[in-house]
Amino acid sequence: MKLHAKITRSLFIQILHDLARPHPFALERVVFVSFRPADLRDGILLLANNLHTIRDDDYERNDNVGAMLGSGAFRMALQFAYNNPVSMFHIHKHDHSGIPRDSLVDRESSVQFVPDFWKVRPRFPHGTIILSKDSMSGLTWLPNMRRPIPISRFTIVGTPIIEVYDGKHSIAAAEFSRPRQ
Amino acid sequence: MVSTRSQRQSFLGPDSEKVLSSGVVVIVGLCGGGSHIAQLLAHIGVDNYKIVDPDFVDDPNLNRMVGSTPNDAIEKRPKVEVIRDLILRIRPAANIEMFATKWQENHLPLRSCTAVFGCVDSFASRNELEAYCRRFLIPYIDIGMDVHELASGRYMISGQVIASIPGQPCMKCMGVLTEERISQEAQRYGDAGDRPQVIWPNGVLASTAVGMFVSLLTPWDKQSELVPFIEYDGNSPTLKPSSVIAILDKECKHYPIPKGLGDPMWNGIASDFLKQANALQREAD
Repeated sequence: MKLHAKITRSLFIQILHDLARPHPFALERVVFVSFRPADLRDGILLLANNLHTIRDDDYERNDNVGAMLGSGAFRMALQFAYNNPVSMFHIHKHDHSGIPRDSLVDRESSVQFVPDFWKVRPRFPHGTIILSKDSMSGLTWLPNMRRPIPISRFTIVGTPIIEVYDGKHSIAAAEFSRPRQ
Repeated sequence: MVSTRSQRQSFLGPDSEKVLSSGVVVIVGLCGGGSHIAQLLAHIGVDNYKIVDPDFVDDPNLNRMVGSTPNDAIEKRPKVEVIRDLILRIRPAANIEMFATKWQENHLPLRSCTAVFGCVDSFASRNELEAYCRRFLIPYIDIGMDVHELASGRYMISGQVIASIPGQPCMKCMGVLTEERISQEAQRYGDAGDRPQVIWPNGVLASTAVGMFVSLLTPWDKQSELVPFIEYDGNSPTLKPSSVIAILDKECKHYPIPKGLGDPMWNGIASDFLKQANALQREAD
């Protein structure tokens, strides 16, 4: 089963800008992005449709992680998924080049919050996406699956078109990390 | 590093060969415009094709369908087979999926492609194909040409190439697709007879469309913005950016995102699908 995620360039730029904003105390930011799923012949297509910014007040102080979301952030994302037929993805950025991998903390927190989205939007895929300076990777949880499935292809749709296959981007890294407005 | 085969196009970028090779293109309509596009894409090194056309080769196609022969017309070979053979002569390892149907009957393969080239005859077909591409965030490159008979008895050749990128202006924003044109076309349906078509304007337009595709995938001139709407005057003969571009909004009003994405009826992963995915994981374990 293949998972292919598409994001328009303008939404991708908004995500990058939002994640780059300094926070009063958290070391990094997180956003939620909702996707409309659709069938592919051999998998699922995820079409990004909205950025859900997390308010400064919805972060909690925690010295062990770069960003700890409070219940208000999850409530906002859950409410959106409840009201709309969408998959929700938690997105953050690692400050390095190359294929980003989820850390132990990332994986543990994903396993906790992803199933909550099935309570409000069952039978939809939900998951996490991690960006790096020049690449991206994602994991998708499907209901009752033993393990998450990696997103094998990302397409940033715009001018230029950027395709990322299994973490390997298709054009110059500078285009990816500093997209033109 | 690029291979010797691609060394004359190495200015497209060090990764350009890989980028072009891994792109997946759909060509809808394989006669005058689509056949040219297939040939050009094969030469620049695209390796993945989904080619769509329900028709077979007939005598009147031979004046403009690149790769077609009188024998193809005698045998009434499906156009998809002729174009497959054309691509494979240039690019023997290419992956080609053929759909000798209307695209609507095999639309799922379009959804995950890098770009769709639309080489269709009517405004209504363009409208339908562009709407589908917008719904699934597919960059759509459209070419079209017409030969008009003027009152003076002269003929005028005109055409256009349009890059319709989701989130950016569409063919309705550009004034190419209007309700008036679509309804006039529907009223004329069946009256017009065979419309005149010739090979050289198709060649010009197809080359321009492939140039747009290359710029989208490997933006080789960082100083230039993609020109999304290029007009062709076959009498002068000239290609020029449409004057409409100057007055276009940056965003599309007709297909606004986030509305209208995906399958309206999609309501969860099918249980068969989940069973299959679970079985695959068990096998891997």
